[in-house]
Amino acid sequence: MVLSTPVLGVIILVYLMVIFYLGWLGYKKTKQTEDYMVAGRQIHPYILALSYGATFISTSAIIGFGGAAGALGMGLLWLAFMNIFVGIFIAFVFFGSRTRRMGLNLNAVTFPELIGRRFQSRFIQGFSGALIGIFMPLYAGIVLIGGARFLESTLNINYDVAVLILTVIVAAYVITGGLIAVMYTDALQGTLMFIGMIFLLVFTYIKMGGVVAAHSALTAMNDLVPDSLVAGGHMGWTSMPAFGSPIWWTLISTLVLGVGIGVVAQPQLAVRFMTVKNDTALNRAVLVGGPFILMMTGVAFTVGALSNAYFYETLGQISVVVAGGNTDLIMPEFINSAMPETFVVLFMLTLLAAAMSTLSSQFHTMGTSIGHDFYREFIKKGELGQTINITKAAIAFTILASVVLAYILPISIIARATAIFFGLCAAAFLPMYSGALFWKRMTKEGAIASLLVGTFSSLFWLAFVHRSEAVPLGISKAIFGVDTILTGTWTVVDPILVATPLAFAVAIIVSLMTKPTPQEHLDTCFKK
Amino acid sequence: MLGIDDPQIWLAYILCFISAIGCIIYGALKWNDDSDDGEAE
Repeated sequence: MVLSTPVLGVIILVYLMVIFYLGWLGYKKTKQTEDYMVAGRQIHPYILALSYGATFISTSAIIGFGGAAGALGMGLLWLAFMNIFVGIFIAFVFFGSRTRRMGLNLNAVTFPELIGRRFQSRFIQGFSGALIGIFMPLYAGIVLIGGARFLESTLNINYDVAVLILTVIVAAYVITGGLIAVMYTDALQGTLMFIGMIFLLVFTYIKMGGVVAAHSALTAMNDLVPDSLVAGGHMGWTSMPAFGSPIWWTLISTLVLGVGIGVVAQPQLAVRFMTVKNDTALNRAVLVGGPFILMMTGVAFTVGALSNAYFYETLGQISVVVAGGNTDLIMPEFINSAMPETFVVLFMLTLLAAAMSTLSSQFHTMGTSIGHDFYREFIKKGELGQTINITKAAIAFTILASVVLAYILPISIIARATAIFFGLCAAAFLPMYSGALFWKRMTKEGAIASLLVGTFSSLFWLAFVHRSEAVPLGISKAIFGVDTILTGTWTVVDPILVATPLAFAVAIIVSLMTKPTPQEHLDTCFKK
Repeated sequence: MLGIDDPQIWLAYILCFISAIGCIIYGALKWNDDSDDGEAE
């Protein structure tokens, strides 16, 4: 993506000035801990919806997953459907309202704190905080790389300088302005993303002669799938892969289920339900959130797949070939060659906004997890004092960790970090989070057991069985002398499909075997 | 349908739109519904 015009520079400068203004607004409005942590529980529904959506969708969702659709085809639309139905509707309507109310009843200001207080366990809060603090930098690292690569190529600056600039800008408004600044800037960034993606969809269909014509052209290319992909089960870009084939398993278990369900238990998203004052705000946010996500992942996956038809028509090659085998380059290549130049500028801004909005929430969540959940509540046993300062220091520290990780991790692991983090969250947090909200019989012991089993079984599967991570990590090779300790289909089954059901089962069994939570405490938790 | 042969794909394509429209309808119907609401204050 080489585009270096003064116009782009000016536009980015104006954009950054507005971001700084919103960050300053957040700083002015932040007076107490609750403002810094949960935006004073007074956020407008429109801002909630866009902030949730913009945090949810990072550059990698558009570029990385759009590119994956370029290679694997429109089967990824099942993930787009999950993103809307589970990620917005189920999340807001079922999880959102209960999370909001319980957060208020228990005076919780972070996701680990909500669960920890529901089960009256500082261990749960501390362990969850530490888990987020340790593994979220992986996820933040790749978002950072995406954003920095964008700055590098569009402004023609050194990559290291780009990482530094991006980090400093985002850190500045997150550290000073807290969640209010994060959500205000998210809303602006979300709006830019929405506009950019609408243009992308409309231009693409116009360019290819309409909806049906575009799809038909792609369907007609079924016999052009490379042999290596056909062997893996690929049956064309408008067909699902062969049932049970390795590509089918990757598509369904890692992408559709892993990312599609994992989103419900994302701490940086769940905390947002506690930022509004009533359920009406959550319901209104659904109206904005559904179409927003449709325009993000729905458009990215459709356009990614359709790029094959465009490149075949213009260059006689399929997208993966045009992108030199790197699926991450499919979307940039398509946009650069198929879209008008003014749009390319707009889309650059869309991508920068997508990276910054996800990064800011990650920084905020990592900082509060370490500063508030782990340090203050677990180590200091809730002792009041320098919480905000420690949180700010923790934000700075975890940002540093993300930057370092962005440099040292092998590229093959980095590319999978989103799925790893989403899967880990699902296994570790989803059973106790859903139990906390929907099952009064769930006990502290059941929650702790599911947290530990979910975390460690997920990590075990990643390191020893699931080929995509186990091979590059090399831990299994070092200990047992084999790439993976199981063989065959198991090696393509995502950890989420193994660890999450296991953690759910453990949660239920242990809860039923232990003493119920006192009614008095439940009454406080579930108070209307 | 829609130039796509595999029902598993066009179903997903249509479901994306239906679910997004469903979100709009849900939000609109509940726009002023505060029946089960507890205010923060």
